[in-house]
Amino acid sequence: MAGAGVKNLDPLWAWQPYRPSTEAPWNLPRVGHLYRRAAFGATYAELQAGLKAGPEALLDQLLKGGPGLAEFDAQMASLAQSIARYNDATHLRAWWLARMLHSPHPLQEKITLFWHNHFATSYAKVQSARFMLGQYELLRRHALGRFSELLRAMSSDPAMLIWLDGRDSKKGNPNENYARELMELFSLGIGHYTEKDVREAARAFTGWEIQGTKAVFNAQQHDDGVKTVLGQTGNWNADDIVRICLEQKSAAPFLVAKLYRFFISETAAPSPELLAPLAQQFRNSDYDFGALVKTMLASNLFFSSHAYRTRIKAPVDFVLNIVRGLEGAIGATALAQSLEQLGQNLFSPPSVKGWDGGKSWLNGQTLLFRQNLALALTSTEDARFGRRCDPAALARKYHKETDAELVDFFLHLFLQGDVAAQTRMRLLHYQQQAHKLPAPVYWTQQDSADQRVRSLCHLVLTLPEFQLD
Amino acid sequence: MTANRRDFLKASLAGVGLIGAGSGAPLFLSRTAAAVPAADKAGAKDTILVVIELTGGNDGLNTVVPFNDPEYAKLRPTLRQTPAQVKKINDQLGLHPSLAGFAELLQDNVLCIVQGVGYPNPNQSHFRSMDIWQTASLNENVSEGWLGKALKGLPGAPSFHLKSNNEASPLALEGAPVRVPSIATLEEFQLQLAAASGADKKEQRDIIESAARSNGGPGLLDFVQRTASNTYASSRRLQEIGKNYQPQTPYPNTPLGGRLKLAAQLIDAGLGARLFYVAHGNFDTHATQAPTHARLLTQLSQAVTAFFKDIAARGHRDRVLVMTFSEFGRRAKENGSRGTDHGSAAPMFLIGGKVKPGPVGEHPSLTQLEFGNLKHHTDFRQVYAAILDRWLGVSSKDILGAEFSHAAIFKS
Repeated sequence: MAGAGVKNLDPLWAWQPYRPSTEAPWNLPRVGHLYRRAAFGATYAELQAGLKAGPEALLDQLLKGGPGLAEFDAQMASLAQSIARYNDATHLRAWWLARMLHSPHPLQEKITLFWHNHFATSYAKVQSARFMLGQYELLRRHALGRFSELLRAMSSDPAMLIWLDGRDSKKGNPNENYARELMELFSLGIGHYTEKDVREAARAFTGWEIQGTKAVFNAQQHDDGVKTVLGQTGNWNADDIVRICLEQKSAAPFLVAKLYRFFISETAAPSPELLAPLAQQFRNSDYDFGALVKTMLASNLFFSSHAYRTRIKAPVDFVLNIVRGLEGAIGATALAQSLEQLGQNLFSPPSVKGWDGGKSWLNGQTLLFRQNLALALTSTEDARFGRRCDPAALARKYHKETDAELVDFFLHLFLQGDVAAQTRMRLLHYQQQAHKLPAPVYWTQQDSADQRVRSLCHLVLTLPEFQLD
Repeated sequence: MTANRRDFLKASLAGVGLIGAGSGAPLFLSRTAAAVPAADKAGAKDTILVVIELTGGNDGLNTVVPFNDPEYAKLRPTLRQTPAQVKKINDQLGLHPSLAGFAELLQDNVLCIVQGVGYPNPNQSHFRSMDIWQTASLNENVSEGWLGKALKGLPGAPSFHLKSNNEASPLALEGAPVRVPSIATLEEFQLQLAAASGADKKEQRDIIESAARSNGGPGLLDFVQRTASNTYASSRRLQEIGKNYQPQTPYPNTPLGGRLKLAAQLIDAGLGARLFYVAHGNFDTHATQAPTHARLLTQLSQAVTAFFKDIAARGHRDRVLVMTFSEFGRRAKENGSRGTDHGSAAPMFLIGGKVKPGPVGEHPSLTQLEFGNLKHHTDFRQVYAAILDRWLGVSSKDILGAEFSHAAIFKS
């Protein structure tokens, strides 16, 4: 995948819509790339169909979502009721993972995950599945809408009021927790406000309480005196502070840079010049996030070498890429539990800054957990997953039989064939000589053949390339 | 050097291509020989450093308490610890009542308390301030940590990040010549394979390990390969360590207790381990601080005390140094939610057979506050400098970028 030098990227070129060309053809690696970033991976059939459809049609489909969303949402909502009713954190996590796996609109879930990482709120402190679900619904409702509206609504979100202590913040004795993170992490970034701004803004957020299952504004506890925040003086309330923050020059570039890291690259920090056109578009559209997402995903830059395999797969992507690829009919509960070991326990980010992501996903232990989970999913021998995710069954479905067909099938499915020739040769050699390796006497020929396919699939999933997003 | 250690280092270094199969030993031996500190230095005999991060900002004022200061009671109307409650250090200072184990360590002359530690222009962001402590630099966008840099001077010294599930490896360890492995438990630090036979298993392992061999290319693929090689090599070696470690003292059944027990086990295994990093928290007590803070300090005190007793009983009393730090202390005056907001200066604890016991430096004034926060008089890099030069035997000036006078944390 060719592209201009990292330093000298032309912003005009970068953000123009990608059109296939001889240098940058629409090929399987690009289809896989789009499915990884804008969804949670693809099946073999989806990859082939995407290749036929072309970039515009495929992106359009991913942006709009498929049919049946309302029905899907209704089904999931009824499950959510019992999760809230019984404060069931285990199934809360499984519920969202099931949404990611089965929603007709995976991009919406992916962006909701982006926002969960942005407004990183943890069940560990909130201790209420009902409130965590409420915040999830808020994030999803605004996922591809206006960031300004989402940020305003967040001031009185019950989970957030518990997480950052807003419910305890009272006139005369404000709690600074929310005001600080609003500026540092949610809207402006460090260095674009002062400690005095934090302390003054904290006064404006006083008065919110939780009564029963609702956030309620108690005017008695609200400090309605005059505050000076980011240079503006008045008797500001929560909405005013959000407005003032979003009037700052640093707000749009801060959010755009964060989305850049999510969609384009974790490896090279973008220059302000590169981001400027998007920041301007974002600000001028009253923070229309959906439009920003669309511009990025459609762009030349997105489909260039600057974006391709320049992220480490997040644990959620790692597991869902496998399960989607294998078309596994798998229960989400065990899968959601395994995410904790991999370092991305949904609804429980490690801190209000969210998951650091990038290289920090991979250390000795998490890499081993990933490889061992890939084995558990593909071996059919793990009690958690059983035979519901069987590579041998999938290969039969697509009529892949010879050693070479099988090697190429799994390499295409998971890596779109983009590995060193030597890697392919090694796998093929393994597959060929595996016929000669001794097997338990009680195995039939079919048993042995299936076992070889499962091992081959596991080996493909352990390739370093598969850790890249 | 024990055989165990030699094998471990060889395996780790071979894994990342630092040594070749044939030529490895001499290079590795010469590098290590150069790094051994001179015999008259404190770091001469394979000293061990255990760093405990108190994540979230520990309330230093309620950890080492100036219980007789009338200002203290005014600043902490609901959160104060009374003279009857604290574990007295002297007639002015006391430890939080939950630090019973630390009081014992103080009796045993192995606990040092550095008071009023911080840095100029304190930053009140958790994340920025944590970066400052972990990189030992006030500059932004520093990609290497102080311990990672120290490991450049201790090439191949086995080091471990003992982690919980939701925890990434710390910036403090970045920049090490060999990536420091993060480990949850020994049982889980293994590559599992399903194979038709032993021969099949070997074939699979060969494929996995050869794919992880880096050819030094650019970018993320190389990073993944190096991480993987190092991990496979370490895990193979660690599999041979006995699973049934019998501690000399009981450990509390807490996550921190489990991680420090694993540290003791790895120390005792004779790998030559020099550095451990563990995190404990969350100390971000903006509201209803008292029960949370008491619980966290109890866990800290019990785990560290058990660890030190265990390791001392095994004869490592003078080889081990435990250091605690937090990204900042908390606001002197409590807030309206029976909690405390972000502050600055706070104490650090150092535990070991060679530390100077008791408090070092004055408790920061409770009347001369800086924007409502305690003022520091000791830069944390003075503590780091003493540890780097005198304990680990590496040049603090190279790592910190300047000379810092040593905090008086060791017996002279």
